[in-house]
Amino acid sequence: MSGRLHPFTLLAVAAALPALAWILPAPIGPAATLAVALGLTLTPGASPGSTGIRSSPGSTGIGSSPGWRPGSVVFRAALLTAAPFWLFLLLLHDVPTTIATGLRITTMVASIGWVVAALPPARLVEAMVAAGWSATAAYLFAATLSAVPVLKSRAQRIVEAQRCRGLSPRGGVVNRLRALGAVALPLILSALHEVDERALALETRGLVPGVHRTPLEPPPDRVAERVARWGLAALCAAALVWRLA
Amino acid sequence: MTRVALEHVSFWYPATSAPALEDVSLEVVGGELVALVGRVGAGASTLLLVAGDLAPRVVGGRLEGTVRFEGSDRAGKDGGRGIVLPSPWTQLSGMAFTVWDEVAFGPANLGWPRGEIARHVEHALALLEITGLNSRDPATLSGGELQRVILAGILAMNPAVLLCDEPTAELDPAGAQAVWRLLSALAREGKAVLVATSDLDALPDVADRVVWLERGRVAATGTAALLAGDAACAAGLGTTVAGVWRAAELAAPFPATVAAAVRRWR
Repeated sequence: MSGRLHPFTLLAVAAALPALAWILPAPIGPAATLAVALGLTLTPGASPGSTGIRSSPGSTGIGSSPGWRPGSVVFRAALLTAAPFWLFLLLLHDVPTTIATGLRITTMVASIGWVVAALPPARLVEAMVAAGWSATAAYLFAATLSAVPVLKSRAQRIVEAQRCRGLSPRGGVVNRLRALGAVALPLILSALHEVDERALALETRGLVPGVHRTPLEPPPDRVAERVARWGLAALCAAALVWRLA
Repeated sequence: MTRVALEHVSFWYPATSAPALEDVSLEVVGGELVALVGRVGAGASTLLLVAGDLAPRVVGGRLEGTVRFEGSDRAGKDGGRGIVLPSPWTQLSGMAFTVWDEVAFGPANLGWPRGEIARHVEHALALLEITGLNSRDPATLSGGELQRVILAGILAMNPAVLLCDEPTAELDPAGAQAVWRLLSALAREGKAVLVATSDLDALPDVADRVVWLERGRVAATGTAALLAGDAACAAGLGTTVAGVWRAAELAAPFPATVAAAVRRWR
């Protein structure tokens, strides 16, 4: 489902759900937004063939990018990521506040996880360029969106490499901290090194400030989707006015 | 006439006091393939960055001397300077999920009409003999396949000057030969081709000139016969055949290729 929607619609939904979660009264409002967000994480998302760009003759669509996870994996990741927040909230607040804030934070986590999984950066760039954004601004936005899965995939490779060299991430706190350092430092250094090389590569491939990029296959932006986006914005504004009144 | 010329160029990377290039003068014109050889750290990659207008403009640092380019005046533009960096993984756009889209990334940035982009992409894929990969996800390619995809991405932009840093490093012998044949053909078509390489055995067949760099300076310039010289062999920059000939203490001049060795032997 999400693979057929325009990228701006996906972003609008991902922004509207957390906004409504914080605006609407707890626990009903945040619980409802969380239910929707978790429901979205169970959609096929960025699974192969669902995203629609078919510039290459004979291709059947975009493949999955490294680190993108369809369906229940995103659902589980969202819940696992939100779990520590619930623990801290329970230590700091009473139960009603914990439930209200926990539901809101979990909605945010699930919405972000869903949009990262469901929105291929390439499609976002195409949409933004077609909408008149500069290619460099679109690239920066999309690169930010793809940073988390890319870094996660690289961290996994570093962990595997360090294991081959005898480092074990298991055992006591000291062992785990030592293993963390052995992963974090190469991760940061390789990311910094890659930024330099990537900048050179993009420059030589014409991605320079002021470039007027040709959208290869801009995703269709249907009237119904544009109306839905404005509807979401109006819903958020109306909810805010209602709560402030 | 396409031409890139460095005149008495010295270059310092940011926060360094020793120059990476020192008083380098070199000219490459359309129709010739020039090879840069040298030990690691000799300055070949830096020379390509300077010739490609990426240093100091993008990487920072300080440049003395003059770099002249006749062709298009904008990096990345059609008829401009295209550079293929040594590591193919870091050159992926990250914004394409098929090889076709990856190769089209550069031409799309040039603002060409879609029909023209498609024509150039198909031509580049055919030149690199990777048309069969066009619907593959670049993240699933081998190093050699990816290297050819990156080269195709640059060729699709139709640069007048092609700068390649170790373009055969990830390739098997057959793939490397194919790339050398392609680079040689591109030079014959009128492009200026400058290649930093450690694939010394390939150069006698393809290079019009060889430039030997040593600690940022030009140590020697000449034909590929330079790679069969005693000095080059002593420095580890001779071809394999020349090195064997020298090690066997056979009479100089050393042959650079197997064919030349066979002729000498008879």
